Amino acid sequence: MVSANVSGDLSSEMEVDAFRRLFPLRYHERFLLDSIRPDARPLGRARDTSLALGAVASADGSALAKIGCTTMLAAVKMEVMTPPKESPDEGSIAIEFYMPPICSPLVRPGRPAEEAPVVSKQLSDTILRHVNVVTSFSGMINLKELSLVSGKAAWMAYLDIYCLDADGSLFDAALLAAVAAFSHLRIPVVSLNEEGRVVVVSEENEEGKSEKEPVNKGKRKLTLSSLPFSLTCILHKNYILADPTAEEESIMETLVTVVLDSSGQLVSLYKPGGPVLAYASAVQDCIALTRQRVKELKSILNEAISDMEVD
Amino acid sequence: MRQIRGEIGAVAKADGSAFFEMGNTKVIAAVYGPREGFGKDGETHSYWSENSRVNYKVENRSQQISDQALVRCEYTMANFSTGDRMRKPKGDRRSTEISLVIRQTMEACILTHLMPRSQIDIFVQVLQADGGTRSACINAATLALADAGIPMRDLVTSCSAGYLNSTPLLDLNYVEDSAGGPDVTVGILPKLDKVTLLQMDAKLPMDIFENVMQLAIEGCKAIANYIREVFDVKACVASMVICLVLIFSTSDLYMGIFLDSGIGGHYNCSFVLCNIFVKKINRNPQKQAPSDGSTCFYGKQKWEELLISTRDES
Repeated sequence: MVSANVSGDLSSEMEVDAFRRLFPLRYHERFLLDSIRPDARPLGRARDTSLALGAVASADGSALAKIGCTTMLAAVKMEVMTPPKESPDEGSIAIEFYMPPICSPLVRPGRPAEEAPVVSKQLSDTILRHVNVVTSFSGMINLKELSLVSGKAAWMAYLDIYCLDADGSLFDAALLAAVAAFSHLRIPVVSLNEEGRVVVVSEENEEGKSEKEPVNKGKRKLTLSSLPFSLTCILHKNYILADPTAEEESIMETLVTVVLDSSGQLVSLYKPGGPVLAYASAVQDCIALTRQRVKELKSILNEAISDMEVD
Repeated sequence: MRQIRGEIGAVAKADGSAFFEMGNTKVIAAVYGPREGFGKDGETHSYWSENSRVNYKVENRSQQISDQALVRCEYTMANFSTGDRMRKPKGDRRSTEISLVIRQTMEACILTHLMPRSQIDIFVQVLQADGGTRSACINAATLALADAGIPMRDLVTSCSAGYLNSTPLLDLNYVEDSAGGPDVTVGILPKLDKVTLLQMDAKLPMDIFENVMQLAIEGCKAIANYIREVFDVKACVASMVICLVLIFSTSDLYMGIFLDSGIGGHYNCSFVLCNIFVKKINRNPQKQAPSDGSTCFYGKQKWEELLISTRDES
């Protein structure tokens, strides 16, 4: 009796799995009719998000962001460089996004993932263009803060983001990790040595400090004015699904990514084609969902920052 | 030895994955496989796509081995893992050499003849490097392979040791390593007490070398005990579930001769059950169980497959 039940459960579970693999679209649509998704989320809700700052001790600023199973590790390392002649008072930022083969079975060493350069470009557009606006509206990072000695030395911040697990919404997780890494960044103390070169002052060198005047005193944080947050949604017939998993992304291909900053203004909107054409109302619904998500993400980021400061 | 910490299941998408830490050296490993060795004409679908098809080129067809599994390994370091930012995280000589070393070490202990024509990929990513990356990678790869349920002869653990200021030192970190003394890395199969990996740079007199190697071997055994504890916790739950399912589903239970248990108290129970399956499968001449007397290490997924296959017969 008991054995029949156990075998019945197992075979029906295998049928469900087989159905999921053979007819994925129909499998998902049956859930959508009840306004829910296979992992029991309502359509507008994003997965559980968590953020940990300072994940990499050897980097100047780092963060590990997890949205559901999608995991991103971002780290910022600062190096000194000579600024270009057109902008002697500004530093610069270089952003790179990697998808190593551990993140997904579809990425193999000889063939890099299709999404990697796309997400990389999106990230650099969002963060860097947000930075370079010179009008009264100031972007996320003021490049002038990254300058050390005008015309001679400035900081180059290398931001590297590694995807450790790819399960949908790569851009959202990457942007969250990047913003968190910049929030955690502490600019190291440097001083000019005799040859006029800038060296990093290490914390233990107490005796040598009298000869070298630190160019910037104390480790300081960057002032970030408006932080961008994003949400990716999928449009499918009349439904809008927020924060898709990799499975949903591969069967329903129309993605819309909305990036809002912390004051609620639109930074970027990205809809790269797709079989579903969106009316303005659908886009506005996406923006409304993003607005809610921005509030959640802001509170998660603030909590993570205050956790770090307690330590 | 520095503080070690290991966790399995770090990457949800991978068949097996693990995160291993030795002091400040942090490494993440993911195992994909056994999977299709690009045998057919390269038309593999991505799992969930009904309407689109992704064509994979037939790259490794010539490398597919007809009676063994092909093991591939890639070692990459994150840009921010070392003190100064690295320019070329993979493809440089050191990474290629370490990839080869890890591949040969793991290939020696995986039972590749059980999985012909398939491919096992091991990817190791160093997130933070503070000396001993080679050893941490091998330990992480072992954990990940075991998490994926790939049959192996034994665990492979590795540890490094050196000799500075006339003292043998265990598990060097970056500062100690760059001090210029010799660095001996040893990888062993702890239960079988066999050495699979031994590398040393610099010169050492023979008797001191013996001491240093002995020290490294003890370090490896300590890591092996820790890894077994990590699995005991996980296996406890797994074996309870399997016990209950088996008791209700097999119509006759009989005592088999059990293979050497090896891994720990809870696994004893699981090995007995594994053997009961081996016997049951042997009734049906089509299925083949491994017949060499080596210790087999079967993960939970493999047991489920066995369970389903026996159900299909009955």
